[in-house]
Amino acid sequence: MHQSFLSHRRGLWGWVALALVLVSAVTYFAHEPVGPRSGGSWVGYTLGTIGALLIVWLMWFGVRKRSYTLAGNVRGWLSAHVYLGSALILVALYHAGFQIGWNIHTLALMLMLMVIFSGFFGVWAYLRYPSLMTSNRSSTTRAEMLDGIREIDRQALSIATALDPGVHAMLLRSIERTPLGGGVWAQLTASDATEEVLEKLRGAFVGQKEAGADKSSGKTDPGLSGQTIVRIVEFASRTEDQGQAENLRKLIDLLSRKRALAGQLTRDMQLQSLMEIWLYLHVPLSFALLAALIGHIVAVFFYW
Amino acid sequence: MRWLIRKVERRAKGQVQYEDFAFEGEQLTIGRGADQVISISDPRIALEHLGVRRVGKRIRVESQIAAGFRIGSETSRQATLGLREVFEVGGQRFRMIDAPAGFDAAIEWSPIDRQELEARSIAERLPTTLGETWLSKRGPSWILFSATLILCLVLPLMAHHLGNRGITQVAPVMQLWDTGHVANAHRYFANDCTSCHEGGFQVVQDAKCVACHQQTKAHADPHQFPLYEVTDARCAHCHRDHNGPNGLVLTEQRLCSDCHRDLSTRSAGKTQLLDVANFGGDAHPNFMLSLPAWDSEGRYAPVQSRMGTGPLTENSGLKFPHDKHLGAVDGLASPRGKQQLDCGSCHVADAGGLAMQPIDFEKHCQDCHRLTFDRAAGDRQVPHANVDAVLAMLNEYYAKRAIDGTWDDAAAPVTVRTRRRPGQELTPAERNEALAWARTNAARTTRTLFEGQACGVCHTVTPSRSETGDLAYAVAPVRIAGVWFERAHFSHDAHNVMDCAHCHAASLSKASQDVLIPDIKNCQSCHAGEGSPGAVESTCTMCHGFHDAPFPMESVLQARAAGTPTATPAGSSP
Repeated sequence: MHQSFLSHRRGLWGWVALALVLVSAVTYFAHEPVGPRSGGSWVGYTLGTIGALLIVWLMWFGVRKRSYTLAGNVRGWLSAHVYLGSALILVALYHAGFQIGWNIHTLALMLMLMVIFSGFFGVWAYLRYPSLMTSNRSSTTRAEMLDGIREIDRQALSIATALDPGVHAMLLRSIERTPLGGGVWAQLTASDATEEVLEKLRGAFVGQKEAGADKSSGKTDPGLSGQTIVRIVEFASRTEDQGQAENLRKLIDLLSRKRALAGQLTRDMQLQSLMEIWLYLHVPLSFALLAALIGHIVAVFFYW
Repeated sequence: MRWLIRKVERRAKGQVQYEDFAFEGEQLTIGRGADQVISISDPRIALEHLGVRRVGKRIRVESQIAAGFRIGSETSRQATLGLREVFEVGGQRFRMIDAPAGFDAAIEWSPIDRQELEARSIAERLPTTLGETWLSKRGPSWILFSATLILCLVLPLMAHHLGNRGITQVAPVMQLWDTGHVANAHRYFANDCTSCHEGGFQVVQDAKCVACHQQTKAHADPHQFPLYEVTDARCAHCHRDHNGPNGLVLTEQRLCSDCHRDLSTRSAGKTQLLDVANFGGDAHPNFMLSLPAWDSEGRYAPVQSRMGTGPLTENSGLKFPHDKHLGAVDGLASPRGKQQLDCGSCHVADAGGLAMQPIDFEKHCQDCHRLTFDRAAGDRQVPHANVDAVLAMLNEYYAKRAIDGTWDDAAAPVTVRTRRRPGQELTPAERNEALAWARTNAARTTRTLFEGQACGVCHTVTPSRSETGDLAYAVAPVRIAGVWFERAHFSHDAHNVMDCAHCHAASLSKASQDVLIPDIKNCQSCHAGEGSPGAVESTCTMCHGFHDAPFPMESVLQARAAGTPTATPAGSSP
């Protein structure tokens, strides 16, 4: 049975984080320093040290998850990373005595909050998307989907060679026009031209077939315009050859299968990219945080 | 036009096979159809796919269908190509080559190698994961890390070492390190961190504070009270800057009460101060009142008297019943008619709003209490001054009247009573007689003033004879308004919403011996210590100053620098 990283060892790290927050809160509120509460009291320095060590340790997770030699499994480390990272919000705020200003100290705090909240999106993504991906894939792999689409393209082209050259040209064009995959935006939005193209084609075909309209077209328009589709339909409606009609049905069937498969594939890529996109913020921001933290510590002790 | 078509096929082991054939016609067609000049059986190629014509020394390639053909990684519908420029369709590659003798144009046609096609399809595959796109974690991480480090560390460190030169003139980079608002009084030099911070991982040195605060007094004698807070505690022990505009001076009660709650024990009995922990209840001793007194030499030497320990009397040196001055229902009869007096008629706070301005006879009393001395002199008054000044004035007055003559008194000598013509001179005998009369009159009038109902109304006057036998009076010294609490500050201005009578029971006082200064119970009806509900929260510094010793802070620092004295931090001392 799959166990979530949140419930790893019955949420041990959640309890550890809760204990850390409670101890910090009790210390913070029990201590009454001379002057306002700030990072400059002994409680401030203590919580600051804990916070800084936590940040370094949390960043070490990036090293740990690539390594197989250190103690514990990655799920345990992720569980601790998430829970202790969440606890860091309050540890850091208690450390700072909730003081903020236009300076690098608050910059470090803001970067830390941005890292942690991007991490919260990551937690949500890791809890939500894997199961969505599994149900969307329905026990195939992405490579199988890609191969399947290439095979359909190949079959469709070979059927089309036996049909009208216009249909063949249209297919060639549509294969080229409906690339699988793409840039960041294309992946995140699951933009999929296949569906649109094929829907148009199929709709036009079925509609024309039923209406039984007889339109003649003198030339072969190579574009994917209405005329091309009309041409296929025209061809289909006037054909008397049962073999040709059979081929056409096969072609339409193949195209429907392609549409379904392409939709599944783009959805798969979308889910995976949504699950991963936050890391492209989380990781670079954590390095900015590390630099701000170094600046913060040096500044505080340089001008003690 | 005569075309040469050369088909090149690469066989195993690097063998290459050529097959040439010729074609006559303007346009060379390429497609899957059997009617094409170059007919290729490949589903990726349309029946009529390309047409190629010669244009000058180049060829013009045009696609019959939208799928077009490839040049490099680009897809085109039409292109003009030169010698050896390649175009591809399906799995076939074509290029124009030098036409051999007898031909107008030549095309080389070769199938593309299978491995190359596969490699190309992998290379041209669009990214299907974010990791295959331009997005990266490593690059932005390095950029953000470096940029943030420059902003947070490098620039401020540069600014520290350059001081007011260089980068700080362009951008206020030092403010990046500022942990909070600098105290208002320090803001005029707050841009220069080194005015307080030496830098280099060092705490702010007290010498930096004292460099400006030379007048600041110490708290107690470090030799007599070798407590950590008195001797070794840094200025920053209490004064932490960067805590907002008013954050520098702390007013917490425990800053004082930590020591003063058991000061007699902590100072091993060396202090005369009583222990105090709070302002409320009995935690604060009753006030120590500074009552006027004079030593045997006549110097002002007030007596410190604890209030609430028994009846106190005030020896102000003045006879003044407050009730008579304040109590008249329809006003006091005065030379200018009925006058209603109140506290403010005489008592006005000084410019700082703390103590009361001195009472002035000429300003506050003389309207009613006139110092006239002789009916014949009319409104003339003697000065409110000592006996010598009064006697001198009267001597001058009567001498002039005696010399002038026409003094209307039958008892006076004839010389004094006679009217004289202008320019008429007195004989020496007449002058002596007149002046003797004047002296006698002046002395008598002085005696009447000092011993009778003039001075004695308010002052205690004791007649005496000087060594030379001259007339002399001792007038008891007077102190009316002054400092009543030497170690505490009370502001009348801060209390100007209250009635005077709320604290001072003056209208009931029949004699000036009554102490009209209220004691601690009166204050406690509104004020209480830190954290007390329903009262004005009044910590020690509301009335008391910390830097209150009669010598400067600098001497403590010098003693500390000399290695003496030192004390263990609070809490660990016995």
